[in-house]
Amino acid sequence: MSPAAVVELTGVTKRFGPDVLGLDDVSLSVAAGEVVVLLGLSGSGKSTLLRHVDGLQMPTSGGVRVLGVDVPTAGGRELRMLRRRIGFVFQQFDLVGSRTVLENVCTGALGRLRGPRLGLPTYPRGLRREALEHLDRVGLADRAFQRADTLSGGQQQRVAVARALMQRPEVPLADEPVASLDPESSAQVMDLLKTISRENSLTVLCSLHQVDLALGWGDRIVGLRTGRTVLDLPTDGLDRDQVMAVYSRVGADASALLTTAG
Amino acid sequence: MTERLAARPSTGSTAAMVVLLALLATAVWAFADLRINVATFVDGAARAAEFAERTFPLDFPPPGEILRLCGQTLAIVVLATLLSTILSVPLALLAAANTTPARSARFGARALIVVARAVPDVVLAIVFVRVFGIGALTGVLAMGLHSIGMIGKMYADAIEQIDDGPPTALRATGATRLQQIAGGVLPPVLPAFVAVGLHRLDINLRVSVVLGFVGVEGIGYAIAESLRVLDYQRGIALALVVLGLCIVVELISGAIRTALLGRGERTRFARKPAPRNDEELGVDADLTRDPRLRSAAALVEGLVSPPWTARRISSTAYGLVTALVVVASMSASGVAPLELLGALPRVVAGLGLFFPPDGGGILALLFAELLVTIKIALAATLIGVVLSLPIGALAARNVAPSPQIAQAARLVILTIRGIPELILAIVFVVITGLGEVAGAVALGVGAVGLLGKLVADSLEEVDPGPERALTATGATRTQVFFAATVPAGVRALVAHVLYLLDTNIRAATLLGIVGAGGIGFYLLNASRVLEFGVVTTILLMVFCTVMLVELLAIWLRGRF
Repeated sequence: MSPAAVVELTGVTKRFGPDVLGLDDVSLSVAAGEVVVLLGLSGSGKSTLLRHVDGLQMPTSGGVRVLGVDVPTAGGRELRMLRRRIGFVFQQFDLVGSRTVLENVCTGALGRLRGPRLGLPTYPRGLRREALEHLDRVGLADRAFQRADTLSGGQQQRVAVARALMQRPEVPLADEPVASLDPESSAQVMDLLKTISRENSLTVLCSLHQVDLALGWGDRIVGLRTGRTVLDLPTDGLDRDQVMAVYSRVGADASALLTTAG
Repeated sequence: MTERLAARPSTGSTAAMVVLLALLATAVWAFADLRINVATFVDGAARAAEFAERTFPLDFPPPGEILRLCGQTLAIVVLATLLSTILSVPLALLAAANTTPARSARFGARALIVVARAVPDVVLAIVFVRVFGIGALTGVLAMGLHSIGMIGKMYADAIEQIDDGPPTALRATGATRLQQIAGGVLPPVLPAFVAVGLHRLDINLRVSVVLGFVGVEGIGYAIAESLRVLDYQRGIALALVVLGLCIVVELISGAIRTALLGRGERTRFARKPAPRNDEELGVDADLTRDPRLRSAAALVEGLVSPPWTARRISSTAYGLVTALVVVASMSASGVAPLELLGALPRVVAGLGLFFPPDGGGILALLFAELLVTIKIALAATLIGVVLSLPIGALAARNVAPSPQIAQAARLVILTIRGIPELILAIVFVVITGLGEVAGAVALGVGAVGLLGKLVADSLEEVDPGPERALTATGATRTQVFFAATVPAGVRALVAHVLYLLDTNIRAATLLGIVGAGGIGFYLLNASRVLEFGVVTTILLMVFCTVMLVELLAIWLRGRF
């Protein structure tokens, strides 16, 4: 294991039931400050891989080490402390629709707080102020007191980014953050993610569907197919066709579809 | 080789058909065997005339007295429902698959909920009268504990249906399990929690009348007292007051429920929001109503508390009114929260009286009476189905010939739902005399309130595609109904009818208490003479019967 590695997966295999293989002997080492983009068809194991980094799923076999913590053997508290330092942006935003935008951002600080919280007034004032600043960072401070489900998809995802920022993450993960958004909102969210990761030189793992977005952001591209790593190369000098191969070998139809969609 | 024109039904669905037909035949036999026929009602007509003579003119108590009685009943019902919701939340969190900490906890919580449902509130009330005496506390505890059987189950179901995205997102921020539940599970289920509570409030209001017969204060007690001295003028007058009270409360709780759940439906995004252009939402033209301006101002001022919008004012007002109602209920019923807490150990001791079960030397008789109760339930279900199918079909907007007819039919269903079964039973006991017929007819008519609504709702939920297709071929309304609507609704109907049978078996047991035949009479007797072991035996017998019906329903569900 390289000493500088922030995320280190060694021979990770994840089985769902006897016949379904989510991850098949995946090894991956991510150095500090590196932006790694995961590519692959739906069901290729991108989400599963990301969830293993965060300990939301545990490997059937193999090792997962993140920020010096051995994830599979970490206890409840240790795992919570690790998750606080990670941060996760989901494809479906996963905001609590019936609560205000500001309260949703505040929930990003739950890991630092003791006890359950329900309702904005239950969060300390200083924390609310910090949340408002993060909202301002994603350009939505003016929406602080609206119900989260009254926002558009792109706005909701920006709120989700603000929630992750609230954690002051060291290794943000993003699982197809723009797959549910229209092109314009996608561009906004991607710009936001890029700027934030560059400004704070964060280590990022992000799964995407769009090859062009991946080439434009990542330092390194990792291609997955049926749970196996089929590509792991730096973006520099990588051309589009090489990346498309991740998709094309599965079948001409699928690749045609993705080219038009991407 | 001949072409097969009709697919042969699988053996599974043939068996299901046979079982259903057998059930129908038994119900018809029960109906005939109980001698529910025109003659009974002709005999009854004379008695009804006599009854009318002794009832009219109605003798209403003075308005102050009516208000006092209604207040007392409402106070008990509100506190009972509140107690039940408070106890149900942690139980439901333990019982729901997505929030339970362990399988064993889930099993334990589910078992507690099932037991709460299996022990009727009347029986609990009989026990608690022994422990706490006649009064409000008895009613609060009896209804409060029994209601967990319904509220706990519906809460757990609501929790299991939520989107697991938000709680997972909170888990990913490093939140503890409790923080995940408070932040990601409770907010989406709160409207459903309140709606279920209000629904149970309606039910408990009806139940409180029955509890009056075993010594729970309030308007039911006043009715029981009047009927005991055969003062029909006062008793029926009070029954009408109850009917009015039930309808008023149902209207209020119905309005609140629609406001709560309707608001959820009207939100622009469902659970999985669709991609949307930011521009589409635009700026609200009305500047005073645009929250962005207000919150932008708040940002400048560094305000981090929500502004007093109309919604926040109204939800705060709702909260205050609720708190007021609860405090008023406590002072009206004289039940203090600490007293409730202190009572719980004695409740456990009281429940200990029920063990072990005991046949009391009348086991054979009990089985014969159980059969009578089942017969009543079957006949009542048959009557209910026969009455509900046409009324329910007419109440469905996509079946009724005109919207007015649909509305009228809905009104009939709502009115029947508003009448407590006990009042129906008393009326029929008077008309047909004490016994099984009164019970079966009362339950059968009352069933229209439940089954009629279910039939109407499930017909309205039928996918309109095939109906449109048939209408497009030039089929008549009746042809469309039988060829497209009925086949799609049959599966739901079978489930609803078996559910009705299930509730009718429980209800037939309880109506026995007021003299409507069956095992209920022995239940009341055994409680009165303190043979609690026999009570347990009877409850177990009824419980097993209901379980058999539920198993049958599950088996049939897989075959339709």
